[in-house]
Formats: sequence, C-alpha cells, structure tokens
Amino acid sequence: MVGAAIAYYLARGGMTDCVLVEADYLSSGATGRCGGGIRQQWSTEANTRLAIESVREFSTLEEELDADIEFLQGGYLVLAYTDEDVAQFEKNVGLQQGLGLDVAILTPDEIVERVVPELNTDGVRMATYCPSDASANPFLTTQAYADAARRLGVEIELFTPVTRVLTDGGKVTGVETSRGTISAPLVVNVAGSHSVPIAATAGVDLPITPCRRQILVTEPLERFFHPMIISFSFGIYFRQAKHGSVIGGFGDPDEPAGFNQTSSLEFLTTMSAKLAFLMPRLRSVKVVRQWGGLYDLTPDAQPLLGETDGVEGFFQANGFSGHGFMVAPKVAMLVAQAVAGTEPDLDISRLNARRFTDGPVTTDKSVV
Amino acid sequence: MRIREHPILDFQKGPLVEFEHDGRKLEGHEGESIAAALHAAGVRVLRHSIRLNRPRGFFCAIGRCSSCLMTVDGVPNVMTCVTALKAGMRVETQTGKGTIPDVRFTEAPSDPDYPRDLGSVPLAIVGAGPAGLSAAVAAGRLGVECVVLDENPVPGGQLIKQTHMFFGSKEHHARVRGIDIGEILLKEIEDLPVSVMTGTTVLGLYPGKVLALLRNGRLHRLTADSVILATGASENMLAFPNGDLPGIYGAGAVQTLMNVDGVAPGKRVLMVGAGNIGLIVSYQLLQAGVEVAAVVEGLPEIGGYHVHAAKVRRAGVPVMTSHTLLHAVGTDRVEGAIISEIDGDWRPIEGTEIKLEVDTICLAVGLTPNCELASQLGCDEAYVAELGGRVAIHDTDLETTVPGVYVAGDASGIEEASTAMLEGRLAGLSAAAKLLTRPDADELTRLRIEVEEGLRALRAGPFGEHPRAGKQKMVELARSCGGDQ
Ligand SMILES: Cc1cc2nc3c(=O)[nH]c(=O)nc-3n(C[C@H](O)[C@H](O)[C@H](O)COP(=O)(O)OP(=O)(O)OC[C@H]3O[C@@H](n4cnc5c(N)ncnc54)[C@H](O)[C@@H]3O)c2cc1C
Repeated sequence: MVGAAIAYYLARGGMTDCVLVEADYLSSGATGRCGGGIRQQWSTEANTRLAIESVREFSTLEEELDADIEFLQGGYLVLAYTDEDVAQFEKNVGLQQGLGLDVAILTPDEIVERVVPELNTDGVRMATYCPSDASANPFLTTQAYADAARRLGVEIELFTPVTRVLTDGGKVTGVETSRGTISAPLVVNVAGSHSVPIAATAGVDLPITPCRRQILVTEPLERFFHPMIISFSFGIYFRQAKHGSVIGGFGDPDEPAGFNQTSSLEFLTTMSAKLAFLMPRLRSVKVVRQWGGLYDLTPDAQPLLGETDGVEGFFQANGFSGHGFMVAPKVAMLVAQAVAGTEPDLDISRLNARRFTDGPVTTDKSVV
Repeated sequence: MRIREHPILDFQKGPLVEFEHDGRKLEGHEGESIAAALHAAGVRVLRHSIRLNRPRGFFCAIGRCSSCLMTVDGVPNVMTCVTALKAGMRVETQTGKGTIPDVRFTEAPSDPDYPRDLGSVPLAIVGAGPAGLSAAVAAGRLGVECVVLDENPVPGGQLIKQTHMFFGSKEHHARVRGIDIGEILLKEIEDLPVSVMTGTTVLGLYPGKVLALLRNGRLHRLTADSVILATGASENMLAFPNGDLPGIYGAGAVQTLMNVDGVAPGKRVLMVGAGNIGLIVSYQLLQAGVEVAAVVEGLPEIGGYHVHAAKVRRAGVPVMTSHTLLHAVGTDRVEGAIISEIDGDWRPIEGTEIKLEVDTICLAVGLTPNCELASQLGCDEAYVAELGGRVAIHDTDLETTVPGVYVAGDASGIEEASTAMLEGRLAGLSAAAKLLTRPDADELTRLRIEVEEGLRALRAGPFGEHPRAGKQKMVELARSCGGDQ
C-alpha cells in the first residue's frame, strides 16, 4: 500500500520515471492482511495531526483515484476498562479536541443508547467516540493507487523480489532483482518487515522487529453496527466492513518475534470468545477465514521515514508498527515530496531513523 | 421431479415431512438435502446475489461453491446443498447478505470444554472417499490406529454416486459399480482399528498437526502424529454470459441429485465436455429418463473412452466435437443454450450458432484439487496443469514437504477412482512405515511393489498421459524441495 501510494504521489508530482518492484502480488504483505481501520484518536499531538490529515486524504481518495475503496466513516469507539485507561483517555480527548477533532467521552449507557445497542458494556468504564474515524478496503485502496500510478506512467513489476540494494561511495545506484538490475539514483525501501534484510544489503541496520498478529473475518451480513470497536486493555478491535463482514483481531502480548505468518486454533477460539462476550449476538455468526500478518515494530511504535544517514538517495518508509494503513495516504505524500527534493508540507524529520541514535524518544500509548 | 423408476438404483429415502418455503407448505424426505427437496418441488431459485441481485440456484451440491445459500430457521447463509431437511424447517429465499440472526443468548458462553478436546491419534485421514478409505484399510491392516473424517453424512465420497462399472484389473474392483466399492471398503474396515467420523468438517489444519473439527455445530480439537489429506476435488466452472443462472450445474452435482437424491435435474440437458465424466453422466441422465440434447466438446476429439461415447451416441445423442457453449438463455432459470462451432484457436465460427431448447446445462469441464488444508499448514505447493491445478508438492511416498503429512487421490492431482484407491493405499503404507515402531520391512516392500505396479498399469496408455507427465514433474519438484532424500 505505502509503496503503491508513494509511486502514485511521485508520478502526480511529475516524477513519472518510477518503477514499483514487488516480490509477490499487490497487497500480499501486511496491507492485504490488515484490519483496514483508520483512526485519528492518538495520544501525541504529532500522530493525531498526521492521522487527521490522512483521513482528509482518504475522504477524497475515491474521487481522486476514480475507484471504489469501500471508504466508510463509521467512527471508532475506544473502550476503557481500567483506571489507567480512564486517566489516559481523558488526557487524549483534551489534546485531540484541541486539534479540532470531533471526539467525545461516552458513559456505558450512552454507548448503548447512541452508538452500539448490541454491545455488552460489562466492565466498561467509559469510551471515547470519534464519528469521523473510518475504514476502507486495503486491497481496493492499493489497487486504486497502483492503477492510478500506472495511468501516469509508473511501471509495476510484480513477482520480482529485490535481492540487493546497490551502492557506490555512499550513494545508492540501484537495485538488483530476481529479473535483473535496475539502476536508479533514488530508492525507497517500503517492504514492511522485509525492509530489514533489504536495508542490510546496503549495510544499514533498521530498528524493526517483525511480529505476527492474527485476524479473522465472518460471513457478510446486513449492517448492524457502525464503528470500529477497540480496547487496548481488553485487547481487541473489530468492525463491520462496508461489504458486511465483521473483521477483527487482537495482539497476543506473548507473541514471539519472527517472520511466522501462520494462523493458530488458539487465536480462533480466543477471538471468538472475546467477540461473543462483547457482542453476544455474534455467537451465531460464522467465521469464514482467519490469517496472520506481520507488524513491523519499532522501539517507539512510530514509522521510520526519510533519507538514510550514510547512504545518499536511499529512503526508508517502513516500521509502521501496526498502523500503517491509516496514515498511508499522507505519509506517502510526504515521503514522495522528500524523495523529489521538495519541502514536505508536514515536518517528518522527527520520524527519521536517526532519532534512535540522537536521544530519548516519546512513545504513543494508543497502540493495539 | 422425482425419479420413480431406475434400472440400477433403488432410492432409500427418509419419511416424507412437511416444511415451509417462503411461507408455502412443501413436502420432502427427511435427511435429503434442502436443495434436493426444493428441486424436487420445482424450486430453482434459492437466493439473489448480493451485488447484482441475480437469481442463483445451487451449482456444486457438495458444499463448496456457496451458490445455494438460503435463510433457514432465521439463520442466513446456510449451505442448503449439504444441510439435511428436517420436519417443520422454515426455508427462505435469501436476498442480499442476510441479517444477523435474532438468536439472543442471555448468558455469556462459559463452557469450560471449548473447544472439546478429542485427544490424539497416530493417523488422521481427511476424506472418506476412495482414497481416504483405502488409506485406512492399508494402515489399519498393519495395525495403525486411525480416524477417518468426512463432512458428508455418509462415507464413500464421490463413490456414492457412481453407478457405472469401473475399468482396470480385477484386484482394483474392475466390473464393480462405484456405489458398491464404497460398501466393500467399509466392510474391510470393520475389523480394523479404524473409526470413521462422518458429519465432521475439518475446518483447519494447524501447526503441530492440530485439526479443528466442526461436528454437530460444535468445535473440536484433534491432534495427530500423521495426517493423510484425501480431500478430493472441486468442480470447475466455465465463464460465459448468464453462467450463473439456476439450472447450470456441475457434473458432480447432477450425479448427486439424480443418483443419491433420486431427483431429475431437469427435462432436457445440454452436456458441456466429452471427457469420461461428461459421457458417463450423459448416459446416467438417459438412464434416469432425462433427455440429453447434445454433448459439446471444444477439442476436435472426445477426451473420454470411446465405449462411453458409443453408448451415448447409440441412444441418439449427438456428441459434437469442436463445439462450445456460447451463452445460456433465460431470466430466472435456464430456458435454452446457444452453442457454436469453434476453430483451432477456440474462436466461435460465425454463422454456426445453434439454439438448443434445454432447461439444464451440465458442466463437465474438469476438476481442481482441494488443497486448502495443505496450504494452511504451509506445505510447499506448485501449479501443475497436468494434475488439474495447485497441489501440495509430494514425493513418491506421497509425503508433502511437511513431514508426516501426505496427500492422496484427486487432492494430489486429478485422476480417477481406481488410481485414488491405490494412492490411498500407498499413503497408508507410507504413514504406517513411519509410525510403526517395528515395521515388517519385507511385508511393507511387498505391499508397496503391488501398489506401484497397479498404479503403473492404470497410468499406462494414452489416457494416463497427463497424470504420468504430472507425477513426473512432481518427482522433480519434490527433489528440488529436498524430498525423497
Ligand atoms: C493483522 C493486522 C491488522 C492490522 N490492522 C491495521 C489497521 O486496522 N489499521 C492500520 O492502519 N494498520 C493496520 N495494520 C498495519 C498495516 O497493515 C501496515 O502498517 C501497512 O499495511 C503497511 O503497509 P506497507 O506498504 O508498508 O507494507 P506491506 O503491505 O507489507 O508491503 C510491503 C511489500 O513489500 C514486498 N516485499 C517484501 N520484500 C521484498 C523484496 N525483497 N523485494 C520486493 N518486494 C518485497 C512485500 O511482498 C509487500 O507486498 C495491521 C497489520 C496486521 C498484520
């Protein structure tokens, strides 16, 4: 997704001599495996701003790319179960409202009366609700970017893994792929968790840990709830997509690091039990599929964006830590601006990988 | 239209019961599929598609394609082609996605036994068709305890609808009808340490050879030391205008309907495909008293045995080679079909179009191996056209790239029932050889040679050309994956 979007924004800005190289097929990585949630409720100002800008981009994307991406502003309902949740959410809402976000605090009764009548609020202390939070279909969005990029002249090479980044005297000169070498003075590494081995071929060490997250989808049904429902402490997120299926997952805190993407029976049963607890009527709904995907985790759960120290022309756009879909439009636009050598219209220098060598970093508390 | 008289079959049906269809009272036999009961009552449209609101009937009749989803007793998206009819059922045509069932559970689920753990078995065999049952016989005879799992209510797989006699040598059940072979295999199992669990869908195969089973609406867990995947194949579809009209069925579905349920698929049928399945099913249709308007085949020559074609031709049915189906005619159900001649590049020749008055189109255009479970477990796979599509890479022991997991029968590449039985035996022997602490090496070698000779004989000759080539490719693929030492 991020790769296709960067290619599109580069071409839109006039840099049409651009090749998108994909090891497999479009959306075969984290994007095609993700929940498709688009949230603006974050705990730091910079992240909230970025998210608000991204939603703005998403909301006009169907028109701009001339494609249906199943964009739906159904809102996000974030459930608080603990004292810590309550304290943090009250702080967050103050900050978010200060940035102009339409977010409110709801009591358990208000949740049931106003937002999700079917929700079991046992143990819920309160919730924050932002109706303009959204979701979209990751496959359709990636395809839409890729098609639009192609129309502007971008070449897309599928089933072509990059095997090495070529450098000469501290400058990038191109990439070596399974189907030959491509010379280029500018290379953007947007391979999710696989960005690590790719960067390593140019002697660059990225602070990214791959880690599996699992997710499932049910049969499609007529709409019966609108928002993405999430809780950091109960550990769950789920939504009903525009096509009617309920999609959701949770992160196992004991999940070991690694490239394993298989699915487990434990996930299926635990997730089903969680869903049935939160929304008892879901008990009679059939799960049709489950799968796993990789989070590309960085130490502060924020992406690595921008040019790499020591290798001129080699850009990173990875380490999205499980929330890369929601920020992809804006981030891709900003990275494209940086690659093209124009001034990005939001400062992304705070997200350069060099932040980990420069000093202490702040982490966002709103990570699933 | 129920088949009242049949030269070979005597349909054993459950008692007649009443059920409701869109508010109307209908009758059907308890235990038959809802789709079959509706078909017998003349109902063709089971649902309307989500996006374009097109009418849909069933297509595969084996719970694979989702074309038959209806709302049953308030629950949407029920596969009516594999759901048994019960007295008093409320069956509704489904339009769109269906609404979440209004089944309220007052208490949160607090079942400590969820999922129910069935413990572990040395050998789990998925699929009780010819391959799976043969695997159980081979492994069971050597003393290996095994469980055979099948989603259908009765074991036998596709054999339960094969009324024709098999070719091949005597020891491979030649001159015996498919329906009887299943019985023979089940008899052989009786005294062996083999249990058969029907009505059990294997939903998933997880790392550590953990199987998730759905049985009576409940989830169960079973762990196995070895697994044989004998999951068979799914019917191929053709893309043509109006290709989703009710009345267009896969050949397997037509067989199920007429040979298992005793319901005629229609009055007049166009058969697409003159391979063995197309020819055999055409003949079975004639036996059931259904007219066959024509058999069309895109290739310049028929793909099946000439004896089968001769039988059909003798009954006055034209077998038209170098012909294809252009499109189906009808609004709510098939009312006709346009066929035409095609040139060497499969392009329709203008001016040769013929309209056939038919109410049913039967597609016998090949099968695709069911390899989802192997895929989920992470077995390496390859697309091998000669074997019918994507299959798990397997060595000459039929072992996949995940040790202790085997494939056999159509799941390992499309062939037919006789080879499926031999492959089943081979997989059973391979699994047993590894599982037994003190296997009798001489006995195993003898049994294995017997099976291998049988397979070689069945694959000899022009009809074995594809499987031979496919299996040869497989040997090379397995070698490059480090299989076969
Ligand atoms: C279960 C799950 C749920 C998620 N839910 C959400 C959510 O609700 N909202 C949200 O915003 N985010 C979510 N995420 C995170 C989100 O999916 C990712 O952050 C985002 O999709 C990242 O996009 P990407 O383009 O950077 O990576 P990817 O989509 O992984 O794309 C990287 C591509 O690089 C290719 N590649 C790898 N190696 C090579 C090579 N050597 N040569 C060429 N190509 C290569 C891969 O094949 C892949 O297609 C979720 C992730 C998971 C796993």
